[in-house]
Amino acid sequence: MFAQLIQDPAKINYVENPAKPPEIDAWGQLPKLASTFDHVDGLFYFTYIVCIFFFVVILGALLFSVVKYRRKTWDQPAASNVTHNTPLEVVWTIVPLIIVMIMFAWGFKGCMDMTVVPEAASRNTYKATAKQWNWTFTYPNHATPSFNEVWIEVNKPVQFLCESTDVLHAFFIPVMRVKRDIVPGRFQSVWFHPIEIGEFHLFCAEYCGDDHSRMYAKVHVVSAEEFATAPWDKWDDTTPALAAKSGESLYKNLCQTCHSVNGTPAVGPTWKGLFTKQGDTFVGRQREVIEGGAKKTITVDEAYITESVRKPDQKKVAESPYDKNNMTAFPDLDERRIKGLIEYMKSLAAAQ
Amino acid sequence: MSTNVPVIDAHPTISEPPKNYLNCSRGFMSWAGTLDHKRIGIMYLIGVSAAFLAGGVFALLVRLHLWEPHGMLFTNETYNQIFTLHGAFMVFIFVIPAIPGSLGNMVLPLMLGAKDVALPRLNLLSFYLWCGGTLLATLAIVLGGFDTGWTFYAPYSLYTDQAVVSIGLGIFLLGFSSIFTGLNFIVTTHKLRAPGLTWFRMPLFVWAIYATAILQVLATPVLGITVLLVAFERLYNIGIFDPRLGGDPVLFEHFFWFYSHPAVYIMVLPAFGIISELVTVHSRKPLFGYKLMAFSALAIAIISFLVWGHHMFTSGQSTFAMFAFSFLTFFVAIPTAIKEFSWVATIWKGSIALNSPMLYTLAFLIIFAIGGLTGVILGALNVDLHLHDTYFVVAHFHYVMMGSIALAFFAGLHHWWPKMFGIMYDETLAKIACALIFIGFNATFIPQFIMGSQGMPRRYATYVPEFEGYHHASTIGAVILGSGVALMVYYLLASLLIRKPAMQNQWGGVTLDWLTPTPPPLENFATPPSVTTEVYDYSTLDYESLRTPVR
Ligand code: HEC
Ligand code: HEM
Ligand SMILES: [Cu+2]
Ligand SMILES: [Cu+2]
Repeated sequence: MFAQLIQDPAKINYVENPAKPPEIDAWGQLPKLASTFDHVDGLFYFTYIVCIFFFVVILGALLFSVVKYRRKTWDQPAASNVTHNTPLEVVWTIVPLIIVMIMFAWGFKGCMDMTVVPEAASRNTYKATAKQWNWTFTYPNHATPSFNEVWIEVNKPVQFLCESTDVLHAFFIPVMRVKRDIVPGRFQSVWFHPIEIGEFHLFCAEYCGDDHSRMYAKVHVVSAEEFATAPWDKWDDTTPALAAKSGESLYKNLCQTCHSVNGTPAVGPTWKGLFTKQGDTFVGRQREVIEGGAKKTITVDEAYITESVRKPDQKKVAESPYDKNNMTAFPDLDERRIKGLIEYMKSLAAAQ
Repeated sequence: MSTNVPVIDAHPTISEPPKNYLNCSRGFMSWAGTLDHKRIGIMYLIGVSAAFLAGGVFALLVRLHLWEPHGMLFTNETYNQIFTLHGAFMVFIFVIPAIPGSLGNMVLPLMLGAKDVALPRLNLLSFYLWCGGTLLATLAIVLGGFDTGWTFYAPYSLYTDQAVVSIGLGIFLLGFSSIFTGLNFIVTTHKLRAPGLTWFRMPLFVWAIYATAILQVLATPVLGITVLLVAFERLYNIGIFDPRLGGDPVLFEHFFWFYSHPAVYIMVLPAFGIISELVTVHSRKPLFGYKLMAFSALAIAIISFLVWGHHMFTSGQSTFAMFAFSFLTFFVAIPTAIKEFSWVATIWKGSIALNSPMLYTLAFLIIFAIGGLTGVILGALNVDLHLHDTYFVVAHFHYVMMGSIALAFFAGLHHWWPKMFGIMYDETLAKIACALIFIGFNATFIPQFIMGSQGMPRRYATYVPEFEGYHHASTIGAVILGSGVALMVYYLLASLLIRKPAMQNQWGGVTLDWLTPTPPPLENFATPPSVTTEVYDYSTLDYESLRTPVR
């Protein structure tokens, strides 16, 4: 029947650490624009005002009639029996037609601006990979990717080529006014020109399953100097303790959706008890796995974990329900990061 | 209209009430096997009302869950199942069949001066198909629920481990129910009009149902094919929509909206029809711009086949497709605007009765203005790239589907209730309920417009904290709305027990439906009526019938 009906407070099912709320613009409806697509705001407020105008006219006419022409005796006939008025009907056909055609042309022009990628943006192309339920970003001139967070340079047009490895998602940054569906099997492109420094929301806007509402990334728009330091590539693993700490933050970003560290069952098995500490060494637990249809027992070690991360389907945990659940693969995670995650798993044992 | 008002009483000396379609036969089978359009209409009415209440309970659960940013009640997966159930029940089981199935069945043959619809057996069959489809959809809940959203977008609907096939087949049956109803109404309108009832003397409700029927017959098969393909794809991996097998998920979107955009007009045109009837009767004034109104119903029906792409502006369509779809979308706004203006012009200088059907109608006129105008905002290409798949869209379509269509349905129900049963409900309670619904509805959805333009995406089980205040307002509104609906259910049911007699012609209508006895006899008219006057000619109104109680 229904999965688990009632929320489990121990499980984190929301975005833990979102960006600060954006400022609202002067007119109070849209988040303050942080890109050059000001025609969106222009047309939005133009149509808004036109709509309010027509609404007030309609409402006024209604209220006036209701007050003035209310039926006072049960057999009162209508004050007039007009059935049509051709000039009036022509006017209220032509005037709205002209107005909507203005909106159409304005909107189409803006849309061309948003879909035709300028040269400068295509020279600054990121790749955004969406999968259930996280984002991976790769940078134009830098090998290390970042996860669920992305850094871009202010005042420099940027293009994102988006791809999905599973279902539909959508790339939506409200303050930039950009949105693009991400269709598996295609590259979809979106570009914008950021003009404000700050931290902003990037939402997945197309429904993609259980944790759709957690599929979130933080967009950091930073100055050129800060960008040059590659803030996403700070990975401190000088000591095992620091590596575990880096590993923990990566866990929160990428793995927490499906793995708990306190024993709570989730989509994937908990990491509690993966390692136990015996004297000074860490010993991996015994694990029944299915590889190529055959069941076998292995000891959890670094090689198994690395494989689990990069090719999760190779050896599947045999325990129900995990044998039927699928893990997203992270082939882009490099050695150092996996090492950090393993240090973090081990630190869980040390903490016991 | 008809000059010879039929004789009401066949037994002038006896005090027992005259035979009508309700008391002419008794027993379960006399209903379950009935071919009478009025009884089938009543069975539909019970069915769709139950579906509306079920969908409403899901909606309240959704709104309560969203009280807190992290979600208050459910796991994310359960939340997704509940919003999907809400959408699917409301769209496929309630809104699409509601007005044609219940009020259309009840009133259309009366308005045409016919004994019944042209194909009474098909009519009963389409009711049972509706039951079957509803049953299968409900079965899907028991089989584990489904979590694809009412749009069933591939490839998620192909991969999720839930009961998509069962609900898909349910929708397939519901589709056939809808096609059969449409077919029936087309034939009835062409063949069974009373002598003298020319096309341009037909009440606008008939025009609206007729335009709807064309859409039902032409568009629904595409939905049937689409859900069947999804079922095949899940069962046999044939690779039409699944990108892993070389299929194209965007093709699914095209198929789906090729049906579902016309479907929004399948839903809304009957509502337009009801409102057109009600504004003239309760203002006692001919409908303004009758011909233009009839043509704009047809124009909407035709253009609505050509705008489906406006649901896919962000999907990476070609520039040319965007150009064409946006242009045509704006075009649809024109006949819609003409309708709104003409209703207002009908009320202008009328003799306006502020009874409960008219209050629901006025509420419709205000809410539909907002719903239509926000549609225009969404039709603008660059603006839609920002607003698509946010709460702004959610609010837009609730303004048209809940605020307009459901309210028009309520208006029609209050208007024809005395006709159907010969009894009146409590008018004071009805006015209070209407006010609660109007206030609750706006309180629910105005905050959603604001959230949406600020970037709150739809279908979110949890959300970032800055939207909490708007969600609170929206949930409070939903509770007010829910209490209004509950009150309405109460006084309507209570009226069946209290049995306060209605008048023969409760509101003073001059179309044929008000010229039969109330409630109508089994075959509607004692003597076949004929029509000699123009439509909505209130100079022919027989004021005595407004004061003659039903016996
Ligand atoms: C979409 C949910 C999901 C995400 C996200 C996810 N996993 Fe998994 N993980 C699973 C599932 C399901 C299994 C069990 C099935 C299997 O072995 O493939 C699993 C198994 C594992 C295992 C084997 C565990 C054992 O007890 O034998 C490891 C190690 C692992 N995941 C590491 C990670 C790491 C590291 C990350 C983050 C970079 C991660 N997972 C993110 C779902 C997920
Ligand atoms: C003036 C007339 C209207 C116009 C111009 C209009 C325009 C639009 C546009 C452009 C969208 C797409 C928004 C998006 O997803 O980004 C939309 C969505 C929608 N509209 Fe309308 N609309 C109008 C009237 C109606 C009516 C009368 C109905 C229903 C009876 C309706 C029901 C819907 C629904 C159900 C959706 C969204 C469905 C979904 O995504 O789940 N609209 N409308
Ligand atoms: Cu998503
Ligand atoms: Cu549409």
